[in-house]
Amino acid sequence: MELVFEEFYQSIPKFGQEVCGDNVEIIKKENKTIIVLSDGLGSGIKANILSTLTSKIASGLIAKELPLQEILSTILATLPVCEIRGIAYATLAFLVIDSEHNLRLIEIDSPAAFLYRDGKVVKLNYQEYELEDKKIREARFKFRKTDRLFLVSDGVTHAGIGGLLNFGLGWEGVAREICRVVKQNPADLKYAINKLVKIFNTFYNDKAGDDFTIIGMRYRKKRTVNIWSGPPLAQEHDKYLAQKIAGLEGQKIISGGTTAQIAARELGLELKTSLNYYKRDVPPISQLAGFDLVTEGLLTLNKVLATLKQYKPGQIPVNARDGASLFTKSLLESDSVRFFVGRAVNESHQSLNLPIDLGIRSQIISQIAEQLRRLKKEVTIAWF
Amino acid sequence: MAKNKLEICIGTPCYLMGAADLMDTFNSLETELKSAIDFKTCHCLAEECEQAPVISFNDKIYHDINPEKLYKIIRENIR
Repeated sequence: MELVFEEFYQSIPKFGQEVCGDNVEIIKKENKTIIVLSDGLGSGIKANILSTLTSKIASGLIAKELPLQEILSTILATLPVCEIRGIAYATLAFLVIDSEHNLRLIEIDSPAAFLYRDGKVVKLNYQEYELEDKKIREARFKFRKTDRLFLVSDGVTHAGIGGLLNFGLGWEGVAREICRVVKQNPADLKYAINKLVKIFNTFYNDKAGDDFTIIGMRYRKKRTVNIWSGPPLAQEHDKYLAQKIAGLEGQKIISGGTTAQIAARELGLELKTSLNYYKRDVPPISQLAGFDLVTEGLLTLNKVLATLKQYKPGQIPVNARDGASLFTKSLLESDSVRFFVGRAVNESHQSLNLPIDLGIRSQIISQIAEQLRRLKKEVTIAWF
Repeated sequence: MAKNKLEICIGTPCYLMGAADLMDTFNSLETELKSAIDFKTCHCLAEECEQAPVISFNDKIYHDINPEKLYKIIRENIR
């Protein structure tokens, strides 16, 4: 059984601020994942610039496997100096995990990580040393299958100051909340992150006193999604394709009204259409037994492509009920995406003066595949 | 089973040309009128996509429909 490393984060800006002073960078390589969290001094745009610079430089240099000292000196030499406080500063925490599950975590001035193992949250065994006048904590360990690791910015350990508590939650308090939330729903990491953010925000009385970020990560089983879009060129392939896709493992999605009709006809099933739409610019979805999602074709695919272009690794996909959001969520939650694309052209689309960017199916799917590859997903496309 | 049957096409061209408005129109009909009609959406009714949006009311096809026309068709043909 193949496992994949999965990570999600959420950042909440200080109450009243437009942008968050914490920044997360996630880089996925073939054999390793790099995660960087940086918290800039103060809040707002200034903090955002400090943390973005720090995390971008750090992630870039780590990816090139430069020694830690070099990375630190580069960051220190680059950061602009704050006018009020006279210092340039952002915290930094980064971790690298390879395909053998070996994890290396380095923290500079950020709260200690939380490791959830065997029903308890524990602190890691750190080694401490100084480099470039900075105190550095380093931990190396083997990530187990059932482990979960959480990195937070200090806005989380201080949750409650100015809100419900006098001195904030502290490390122990956060550990308690993490333990409780993970036990509620061990199968879903996104749930845990969303719930924790809600809890910390509540401690702040919904008015966060500082930017805060929480990143969660774990291993999970590999997921596959199969997508059939478009009727095949040769009509005799209709039956073959419908039966082939119905028999595949993993999630199954059909994109295209005509395609759905072919599937229903060939499999002898009833296609149920819905009577309402959730979003005006996305046509309603339909239902077909055995398939996880049946959407309209071109408009939905275009919407999916637009959302994917904006997506940053680690973000939690939007939970909405329209076809495009559901489709995007399925793609982002899967690791292996298999497209089965029919190339028959809908004559009626040719006679309409469709906007140019609506394009034809094969082009849009190629672009979606490109975006998915950017996110390090395995993509295959079969043409029919 | 209601006496009347309304189908609205939600294929790409029809949706692009305003099928969503037609769905709204049906959903905001008077309750009495609404309960006398079986409403369904479907993918492609008549392959007359160049005259989208297409609907069928009591098995008769109408094209190039807008909310006003739809309301009129329902009013005039309801059984």
